[in-house]
Amino acid sequence: MRLFEYEAKEIFKKFGIPVPKGLVVRSAKEAASAAKQIRLPVAVKAQILVGGRGNAGGIKFTSDLDEVIAETKKLINRRIKGRKVKMVLIEEKLDIQNEYYMGVTIDQLSGKPILMFSTEGGVDVETIAKKKPEMLISKKISVSRGFFQFEARDMCMQLGLKGSTLLKVGSILHKLYEVFIGYDAMIAEINPLIITSNGEPYAVDAKLEVDDNALFRQPNLELNLSTRYEDKIKIEAIKHGLSYVRLDGDIGVIGSGAGLTMATIDLITDFGGKPANFLETGGGITEELMTKAVELVLKDRRLKGLLINLYGGINPMPSAAKGIVKAYEKLKPKIPVLVKLVGNQQEEAWNILGNYAIPIAKKIQTEKAVEKLMNLLGG
Amino acid sequence: MCIFVDENTRTVVQGITGNVGEVQTKLMLEYGSKIVAGVTPGKGGMAVHSVPVYDNVKEAVAEHAADASILFVPPLFAKDAVIEAIDSDIKLLVVITEHIPIHDTMYMREYSRCAGARMIGPTTPGIICPGKTKIGITPANVFLEGNVGIISRSGTLLYEIAGNLSLAEIGQSSCLGIGADPVIGTDMKEILELFEKDEQTKLVVIVGEIGGVQEEEAAKFIKHEMSKPVIAYVAGKVAPREKKMGHAGAIILGEKGTAKSKMDVLIKAGVEIANKPSEIAKIARIHL
Repeated sequence: MRLFEYEAKEIFKKFGIPVPKGLVVRSAKEAASAAKQIRLPVAVKAQILVGGRGNAGGIKFTSDLDEVIAETKKLINRRIKGRKVKMVLIEEKLDIQNEYYMGVTIDQLSGKPILMFSTEGGVDVETIAKKKPEMLISKKISVSRGFFQFEARDMCMQLGLKGSTLLKVGSILHKLYEVFIGYDAMIAEINPLIITSNGEPYAVDAKLEVDDNALFRQPNLELNLSTRYEDKIKIEAIKHGLSYVRLDGDIGVIGSGAGLTMATIDLITDFGGKPANFLETGGGITEELMTKAVELVLKDRRLKGLLINLYGGINPMPSAAKGIVKAYEKLKPKIPVLVKLVGNQQEEAWNILGNYAIPIAKKIQTEKAVEKLMNLLGG
Repeated sequence: MCIFVDENTRTVVQGITGNVGEVQTKLMLEYGSKIVAGVTPGKGGMAVHSVPVYDNVKEAVAEHAADASILFVPPLFAKDAVIEAIDSDIKLLVVITEHIPIHDTMYMREYSRCAGARMIGPTTPGIICPGKTKIGITPANVFLEGNVGIISRSGTLLYEIAGNLSLAEIGQSSCLGIGADPVIGTDMKEILELFEKDEQTKLVVIVGEIGGVQEEEAAKFIKHEMSKPVIAYVAGKVAPREKKMGHAGAIILGEKGTAKSKMDVLIKAGVEIANKPSEIAKIARIHL
């Protein structure tokens, strides 16, 4: 779960990382009063959960109050990189002497956190790594040992930091690691960390993504799903623990297991169809969950057909079949629905579906099921 | 030979009294696996399908000389249960549990490696050596004994691919799910090394998917050190960028981790690519 810039900054501040003064607003009127309170010049920054907004017109600096109002009006409800802007951050504009980069993420290969620091901030880390690899210091961390202040300073010293800058920046790098650990982060990043002409560091941008699987132990995060997602089906899916991704086509897909479901959307495409969604149940199917999954996907008005592809390994197939029947009875879909269901207790599940004349594919090959559905769709 | 396990592996089930733990214990016993004990704190003294239940792993190991553990404990308790098993001298851990926080998994990976224990998963369907034994949740009926080794990031797709091979009367030596999370205990490359040495295995199938670096690292090993033929299928060709496709690790970030980029790297390493699951059997037949 990625946090908005302003949310990440509130957390950074709590950990002692200096951030510019800022206020989140939802209207031009609020923007004007925020700008007065903070004092011009300010930055007007669209709050969206995607990177690269600066180049897409999502950030504007100004020392004119009328322009703050005009810019906020322009941003609110506008789409930037496909995301609708609902909030704008009005923030103090600081003078910049230097721009640094620092970030912590997970190195999948070693399975360890990796810290990165560069004095060439303001561009993305991939660009630094490609163009000036010698200016990017990285260090993998043992999670059981942790990361110490002296190591943070050592990383900064490698790029020539000295005196009070060394102490201040080293301390922020160490605090960033503490945020990463404290918030079960997938990534914690400051880009840029600026140094003002007075030698004071500030996190001018902030990125924090929290592990979805750890949200249960992060009670301080207030996560309003409706500000994060626009698609109502997606919000419902998350609430029920279903994994849903909207796609551009017209064939609904429900599968058990992410790999099988991905293979299903690939095969539909191979056979000339276009999947409308990816919905994966995970390994905890119950009758209720299955009913919900079918209901959710059938809410999509674009659908011309639906393929349900289930495997009975850890999942109980009779419960899945009962759940499908319940949704089927309730919604009486007019589009073709095909259920491929194999594995443990398959016969019992087939009987349940058979009683309601729901078409079943009984072979293990998903390709055969996709072919059958395409025939039902007359394609 | 089986990879990591054999008919004599003595396994403890952590979380044996839960719904899933109980059902899967029964299925493993029916397959002939030696499930010697179960562990659920507070339920010591019970029995599940005649398997005695203990309050901790240490007692179960002391009484039954267990050397492996399969874990069905909820995600919140998984780290605790894994460390407990390692400290009780368990050398193989099969972590079935899904949705474990990744910071816990990083700790579990580091701890198991320092202790010389082997962790498979999390989010793995486990291991099956068809006709011999299984430590996992894989269904029995789709597998057939033979000479093909399978390494998969996904569970249900492993069953589909193995099922396709079995229908074509191409059997399998060992089939392992490495787990679908971004950080896992044992990498694809490490299992390839074992298949390369295994006498029963004549050919290896990799079932990959978008995201992460497992296939890329496997490709390096295949290119330089693998003599046996390798076939790969990679799921997620039409997956959009920056969207998590069910598995925590199945996400394309920027230009990295697409199905195409993985297939390209694998092809360069000499791997034959199957575009559909059914093609795997066709390619395999040429080699066997």
